[in-house]
Amino acid sequence: MRTFGTIYMGLASLVLAMPIVVVCGAALNSGRSMFFPPVDPTFVRFGEFFVSEPVWTAALWNSVIVAVGASILAVAMAWPIAYLLWSTGTKLSKTLAGLGSLPFAVPPIVFGVGLGFFWAFTGGLGEIWAGVISHAILLMALPLVTISIGLQSIDRAHLDAAATMGATEQVAFRTVVLPQTIPYTISGLFFVLVLSFNEFIVIFFVSASSYATVTLQIFNSLRNGYTPTMAVAAITFLTVSVLVFSAVARWGDLPRLMGADQSRK
Amino acid sequence: MTVANDISLPDRVQSANKTSTFPAKSVLLGFLTSAIVVFCVFPFLLVLAISFGRKVDGAAWVWDFTLENYQRFFVGVLWPQEVTFLYLQQLYYSFYFAVIASLLAVVTALPFTLALTRLSRRAQAIWLVFILSSLSLSEVFIVMGWDILLSNNSGLPKLFKETGLTAWLKEVGWFQTLRDWGLANPRNVKFKTSDFATILTMSYLVWPYAVILLYPALSRLDPSLGEAARTMGASRWTVTRTVTLPSIRLPLMGTTLLLFVFLLGTYVSITVFAAPNKHTTAVAIYANIRGANLNAPFGATQAIILLISASVCLYLGHLLNRRAEGR
Repeated sequence: MRTFGTIYMGLASLVLAMPIVVVCGAALNSGRSMFFPPVDPTFVRFGEFFVSEPVWTAALWNSVIVAVGASILAVAMAWPIAYLLWSTGTKLSKTLAGLGSLPFAVPPIVFGVGLGFFWAFTGGLGEIWAGVISHAILLMALPLVTISIGLQSIDRAHLDAAATMGATEQVAFRTVVLPQTIPYTISGLFFVLVLSFNEFIVIFFVSASSYATVTLQIFNSLRNGYTPTMAVAAITFLTVSVLVFSAVARWGDLPRLMGADQSRK
Repeated sequence: MTVANDISLPDRVQSANKTSTFPAKSVLLGFLTSAIVVFCVFPFLLVLAISFGRKVDGAAWVWDFTLENYQRFFVGVLWPQEVTFLYLQQLYYSFYFAVIASLLAVVTALPFTLALTRLSRRAQAIWLVFILSSLSLSEVFIVMGWDILLSNNSGLPKLFKETGLTAWLKEVGWFQTLRDWGLANPRNVKFKTSDFATILTMSYLVWPYAVILLYPALSRLDPSLGEAARTMGASRWTVTRTVTLPSIRLPLMGTTLLLFVFLLGTYVSITVFAAPNKHTTAVAIYANIRGANLNAPFGATQAIILLISASVCLYLGHLLNRRAEGR
């Protein structure tokens, strides 16, 4: 069983890595077309993506604005809802949490269509701030979950101890609740950051072609054939994901966040 | 949790409500509620309202209350003189691709996740970083990778030809079978466009999700149950069939349904890998709202039907779960 498991995991990760490896290898091509294995390997494409080609640098900048804005906004909205849910457990807080997770639960194209109409009426269609809000709403479910997990891990006895020693709710919040939930909050922020970075269909509908993020720019270029610069974008995004999730694994408890059993190590 | 904790909890909440922060709290609550309603609920209502609207020739569309769009979806514009099931067929292909791809993903992810949960905590964390990174990788990058791998001038077909695999396939006669399946042209194997490539990419797309969704349930599996059955003489396969699988039946079904709903809206993989006559509702929605057709009300109708299909599936899954738990 053990050897079978190991072999199977190896095979699965091989298939999982295959398209990624091909894309990464193609980024090293010096010519205008994608070959694998790369012909005449070079790192010139990296310069094009980050510095010299305005199409890509603008797209990268837009992606960063949307992802950073959306992750901060999503956490700012998810925190009070998760806190209300945990501290009061009222019907209203449950409804809010449920509705807040709704956009993430339905096929994304439907929410994209809805937001497309919504921004057309409110004047946000094609504006980058509308893209930020759209992603924050779409991905709010993630920090809602991670922060709730964090809050549940707080021992209520600590709060009672703080209360008996005369701490008000605000003081207890600052000294007990906040420090223990910071890793979970940051994890939630990171999840939104990475997923927003890579999200395609919702931003496709709300951008209305007036600006392009990197994923949109790649999709637009799909019809004209691939260039190695697009592969550089893929590498960049993959690197960001690996760094972010490694950070979560290093400073947070990734298996716990993913719902692993706590009793076994 | 002790009894004392339970008693002290309501006190704490009440005292918080009586303090001076009360107005600030209700202002925040009001703001949150309105924000959620405006952004999470209103867009869906808007789609529903527009789905009853009417397209004006040579212009955009106007508000209305007509069922024409729904009629068009199910039986075509010219009904009852003429009937077309084109749009139902698109919905059928949405289901077809999503069902097969989600099942394939869950079936192949299950042994992987089982093996993953048996590793040490540290090894699990490293694997999870890998899985999460590939999970978050954008659909456009994944499609790009598979497109290079499956395209005729590079990737697998070229590999087949150069290694002599194509010639060998022709020799043993399997090449004709591949041609019958639409996976080969007279000269060499081809994977674009084909159902095979579409389902492979879609399945790949949700595979990491399958691992992440199965992970909590599988990591809570008690290994001693299986070991007990083994010591009593059950074979490995019998243990899997009678102990492991029944205890994870619910998460398995739940995961499959979630992946299925997610895949119903797949857009990029379908446009790149599926044959044009097998394009799905998601592609049609795009064509109506942003693309060539410019018929927003009909696009909205298709979105609503997709949403209803997804909700029905989720609800059925929920019912199944309840029934399984009740027994």
